[in-house]
Amino acid sequence: MDQPQRIVLAKVGLDGHDRGIKVVARALRDAGMHVIYAGLWQTPEAVVRTVADEDADWLGLSLLSGAHMTLVPRVMELLKQAGLADTGVLVGGIIPEADMPKLHDLGVAKIFGPGTSLDDIVSFVQKPRERTP
Amino acid sequence: MIAALFDRLRQGDRNALARLVSQAARGEHLGEMQAALLPSPSGRGAGGEGNCARVVAFTGSGGVGKSTLIGKLIPLVREQNLKVAVLACDPQSPLTGGALLGDRFRMGNSTDDGVFIRSLAAVSGHGGLAEHLDVIIRLLETFGFDVIFLETVGSGQGDVDVRKYSDVVALLVQPESGDDVQWEKAGILECADVVIVHKSDLPGADQTAAQVRAALDLSMAHAAPVLRVSTKANTGHAELWQTIQVLPARRQQPTAARLLFQAALDSLGQRFDAVERTRDAELEHLADAWRRGESSTPDAINSLLRILTQRI
Ligand SMILES: Nc1nc2c(ncn2[C@@H]2O[C@H](COP(=O)(O)OP(=O)(O)OP(=O)(O)O)[C@@H](O)[C@H]2O)c(=O)[nH]1
Ligand SMILES: [Mg+2]
Repeated sequence: MDQPQRIVLAKVGLDGHDRGIKVVARALRDAGMHVIYAGLWQTPEAVVRTVADEDADWLGLSLLSGAHMTLVPRVMELLKQAGLADTGVLVGGIIPEADMPKLHDLGVAKIFGPGTSLDDIVSFVQKPRERTP
Repeated sequence: MIAALFDRLRQGDRNALARLVSQAARGEHLGEMQAALLPSPSGRGAGGEGNCARVVAFTGSGGVGKSTLIGKLIPLVREQNLKVAVLACDPQSPLTGGALLGDRFRMGNSTDDGVFIRSLAAVSGHGGLAEHLDVIIRLLETFGFDVIFLETVGSGQGDVDVRKYSDVVALLVQPESGDDVQWEKAGILECADVVIVHKSDLPGADQTAAQVRAALDLSMAHAAPVLRVSTKANTGHAELWQTIQVLPARRQQPTAARLLFQAALDSLGQRFDAVERTRDAELEHLADAWRRGESSTPDAINSLLRILTQRI
């Protein structure tokens, strides 16, 4: 089935720049996805509620504030608690090399560093995903 | 699978609601959903089956402040202990099928269980609304929402369709939009049950309100209230919500017979697809006879219905 996939894009943490996430949002839309833009300064709780209500296949988290080792685990834990562990989680931002394996261990599907091309992001999320019914 | 999701829906499982809304929006399993959403014979079922929500549609040009206004009304609804769902429509590209759904971030990021916000893509030519809203609204009612806010695509058009799905249509205009002639031409004002002069913190709000009032007085006997609201200055929301609540509900709850008829139509469609796929000899024979004029259209319809009810 090639129904449009749904992706929630959210920025957690304290920094207030949304240019990058908006560019990604447009690229994903132009690739035929339904992009739910959840905005800046989201709490992990609000992000997970958005994923639930929007029935999203993917969650794209953008963080620049360096709080990734607290925020990402919290989001992953809340997703699990909400019965949404099958959501594909993407992380965008400056993540130190050393932390990447830890995030993958938590279930993050892919980390996109600064300088990732839009094409790479688009082709990654266009792979069909299996979800529990 | 649908049956399991409905069981979960009736037990108050949000994820099941969200999944069913997606399926309805894509037009999947509509027949089964119609059937599952039929009211129970005893009327009010366990899961709030007979529950009837107040559906309020917000329309108006892009950027007039529909999402922000809805975000401000949500806490007022919650203060009354009513549960509220929002269906926010944004346009879907006819070329790529993609959509950027950016309403919800203006509505606040509540994690309150009594609030459900869902973004939907609206295909063009559908009155600025997502498809299958009737089923989606019934899903939300079954889940137990008391109030449903609909945000249409900001085009200022398609308000007639909106009336079909809502009890109250709220039209937003903003000061100095210089649109007064256009409103009348497009007949947009006629579709409104309440007109909101939004962003009334901006200069020209009084004048715009007077223009709207005059246009309403001229065009027809219907006296839609005209209210001034500023979400920025935080004024007018309580009065607006009060007004919306006392306006008469337009939506007629469909009778069980009509719901059954809807389900029958969907089922007939599925049966036809199945029979057609098998290149059924009787069907092809009938269609040929009809095309050659050997069978009248009413006769052919009856024969077709017989074929569809006998098979499967
Ligand atoms: N001055 C003023 N600006 C407002 C008010 N309410 C909203 N705005 C601004 O109007 C802009 C558009 O608001 P939205 O709520 O996104 O408008 P919308 O009608 O939902 O827009 P679309 O969904 O794109 O059709 C935002 O920049 C708001 O900050 C208000 O009461 N006064
Ligand atoms: Mg909006």
